[in-house]
Amino acid sequence: MIGRIVPLLREPLVHFLIAGALVFAMFGGTVDPADRSITVTESQIRGLAEQWEATWQRQPTPAEVDGLIRDYIKDEVYYREAIRLGLDTDDIVMRRRMRSKMEFLVAAQSENEAPSDATLQAWLDGHKSKYATSKAVSFDQVFVGEGDSARISAQLKTGMNPATLGAPLSVPAALEDSQVEDIDRQFGEGFANRIAQYPLGQWQGPVESGFGPHIVRVRKVSAGSVPPLSKIRQKVENDWREANRKSREGKAYQALLDGYTIRIAKP
Amino acid sequence: MRISIRNVMLISSAAIALTACNKTGSMNGKTDADIKETAYSERVYWGDTHLHTSNSIDAFGFGVKLGPEEALRFARGEEVTATWGLKAKLERPLDFLVIADHSGGLGALQTLFDAPRLLIQDPTLLRWYDMMHESPEGRLKVTGELIDMAGSNTLPAALRDPERTQKNTTKIWTNHSSIVERYNEPGKFSAFMGFEYTLMPSGDNMHRVVMFRDGKDKTDKVLPYDPGQGDTPVSQLWDYMDAYEKATGGKVLAIPHNSNLSNGRMFEMTGPGGTPMTAEYARRRASREPLVEATQIKGDSEAHPFLSPNDEFADYGKAGWELGNLTMQRATKPDMHAGNYVREALKRGLAIEAKTGVNPYKFGMIGSTDSHTALATGDENNFFGKHAGNEPNANRASQPQNLGTRLGRFGWNYLAGGYAAVWAKANTRSAIFDAMMRKETYATTGPRMTVRFFGGWNFAADTLKGDWVKAGYATGVPMGGDLKEAKGAPKFIVSATKDPIGANLDRVQIVKGWVDANGKLHEKIFNVVWSSPATRTLSGDRLTPVGDTVDVATASYKNSIGAPQLSTVWADPEFNAGQKAYYYARVLEIPTPRWVLFDVLRYKAKLLPGTRVKDQERAYTSPIWYHPKA
Repeated sequence: MIGRIVPLLREPLVHFLIAGALVFAMFGGTVDPADRSITVTESQIRGLAEQWEATWQRQPTPAEVDGLIRDYIKDEVYYREAIRLGLDTDDIVMRRRMRSKMEFLVAAQSENEAPSDATLQAWLDGHKSKYATSKAVSFDQVFVGEGDSARISAQLKTGMNPATLGAPLSVPAALEDSQVEDIDRQFGEGFANRIAQYPLGQWQGPVESGFGPHIVRVRKVSAGSVPPLSKIRQKVENDWREANRKSREGKAYQALLDGYTIRIAKP
Repeated sequence: MRISIRNVMLISSAAIALTACNKTGSMNGKTDADIKETAYSERVYWGDTHLHTSNSIDAFGFGVKLGPEEALRFARGEEVTATWGLKAKLERPLDFLVIADHSGGLGALQTLFDAPRLLIQDPTLLRWYDMMHESPEGRLKVTGELIDMAGSNTLPAALRDPERTQKNTTKIWTNHSSIVERYNEPGKFSAFMGFEYTLMPSGDNMHRVVMFRDGKDKTDKVLPYDPGQGDTPVSQLWDYMDAYEKATGGKVLAIPHNSNLSNGRMFEMTGPGGTPMTAEYARRRASREPLVEATQIKGDSEAHPFLSPNDEFADYGKAGWELGNLTMQRATKPDMHAGNYVREALKRGLAIEAKTGVNPYKFGMIGSTDSHTALATGDENNFFGKHAGNEPNANRASQPQNLGTRLGRFGWNYLAGGYAAVWAKANTRSAIFDAMMRKETYATTGPRMTVRFFGGWNFAADTLKGDWVKAGYATGVPMGGDLKEAKGAPKFIVSATKDPIGANLDRVQIVKGWVDANGKLHEKIFNVVWSSPATRTLSGDRLTPVGDTVDVATASYKNSIGAPQLSTVWADPEFNAGQKAYYYARVLEIPTPRWVLFDVLRYKAKLLPGTRVKDQERAYTSPIWYHPKA
């Protein structure tokens, strides 16, 4: 029995109905547009006053309560008149607002959900590549610039001090365990992956960066890894929320759509 | 029965919205204090301090569907779907972002859009409501009227009544801060709270971005300050900032922008309303407004050819914008330019300092976008438009794009937008904010070139051979700093490295401004280092142009001219130890295609005669000031 109810509770459409029923119960009863009597109950007045207090951080004066009641009646009168005039059915604006409110309701519901660790772990497991850190590279580089790359390469291979060779360029001469994005950010798109293929410990190149040719010695390449959930929980939760909202919107619409028979005339 | 359920739906959805998302925290669970700062600023961080989302009254009016969450995801490098369905992604992520929605009627247009039509009594609002719901074009028209009316002080009262809007503003502001917290990631990405203060008497642009150093725990204690309509003194904004800092122990700064559209009012020689400038006013301004946004989509405010006839590069980003103020309610007359442009303001600051003892215009420089699409795009090949009404399409470059009227300004006048470069000791809100307070920043028109600028008395020509960055900090001051007690002529280390995925560099210039003994203002531009020095020579103050490799038909260029890096140590050959002066570096790229050519390539856009199709993009550093002994 429980097993049957729990999935049902996750259905967005059920949320619509529960939320609706709750508010319906609180505000007490049906409004029949044909009915030309308006009764403002004590509990409604209390509700109006409480809402006022929540906004202004003080109790409304009796005159202000009168104003709230008058405003409430005005809302009600206009609302019923509008229904009588059929404005709710033939007004494109109303139709769009209704749709947008329905969509908003689903989104707001999903915003309030607190996903469990298990839910987020499952999400993380299903999207590992999105969270994996990229590989890290340690390397030394000499900027050739307009110089002779073959000559600089030969000099480096004889063991000359790299700091004495090449053209000046304000990028690091060596990087330790830098991730692909961080290297590319400093040397230009694709540089890290180009040099990561080199054999370790040897001066190689020339290889082009965004600035020109370099001679490069790669010392270490470490594969990326997926961090544990505890390290990236909020990031995973942000993404899960976004996906969850979209999927709920889709499901809620599908659930409603399933109740309709659609016929489309051929042009 | 059916009716009652509909009624219930409306109420219940509102109730649920109020309880949604009120968490604090950061994306990685860390605080700024967990991130170790380096001894000096080793790395430049890139960001946009001026981005609008659907919470801005005009952005929503222009049709943007993207809110703060999408804006943050996009700035962090993720792909999002732009308002009209195009997929959008940055080539490289940004390091920080300030979402600065207009405080005036924060979310008001969205609220009007959402309101039950029958309850709208104001005839203007009712008309707008209908126009907005009718079509995207309707929304655009409403926004045009709205900016126009805000400029002429005729907005409907219902839209500006602070008591009526307070409840709504609180909700938007605190929901917004929750989202910002969720995407802030100390050490990796700094998401800032901010808003735009939108003062524009008669359409004269006096706007500021207001930016907080703090998180939700402090910013939720205030609401964004709205100056209302008409002509209120900017000092009221500083009062608000004082009050915020006192109440919360937090910190906040303000960044003026689009001085080019202020009709001379952003950088006046006088105090407010033509009163004499006082030391107290100057002190408050300088301490509250340490930076100016010198370049953005609505034009470039560095310099103007009228003020700087010897500067052959001063016409960048002037076409269209130089004609009038923001709303084009009033034309810009030549005598207004001096109060509109940054280079002149820096000189005026020296003159005011000579009279009052305090320099009100002692500011550094940044660039930003002012994009109203929720997309912080600054690159020519990825320009998503000023607002959702001109996201990429075949016609935008040639359509009139005025806010108020339909004369004089066209789509192609928009620049693709700039970025703020900040030399900070870590990527955290506090480190970036503190770097901004000390003006260790520069502006670019979009490309991410790395620029260092140090002033000192002891740099030698061979300083560049060693660890010159360390030397710069140890024996000199970085951009934004002050030089005192002259020992010979001041020397400057300047080093500019091209954007690794961008164009080569043409030259580096140092712009000097000073005031002489008679109070007269002067400026001079020195070309200090350039590419291909063997073939390019100085003739007087002019340098042989770098050339041009732009292929208009393919919207491309070649890095066969220019240099990947330019650096030098330069000493002022005309130094006079008795004159107050400032120096800033301007770095020019080789010519590259403008965004309009990508529209031609992608959408077969037809360009109007006179459309500018290429430009030399650039960077402006914050100045270094020289102070003679009193």
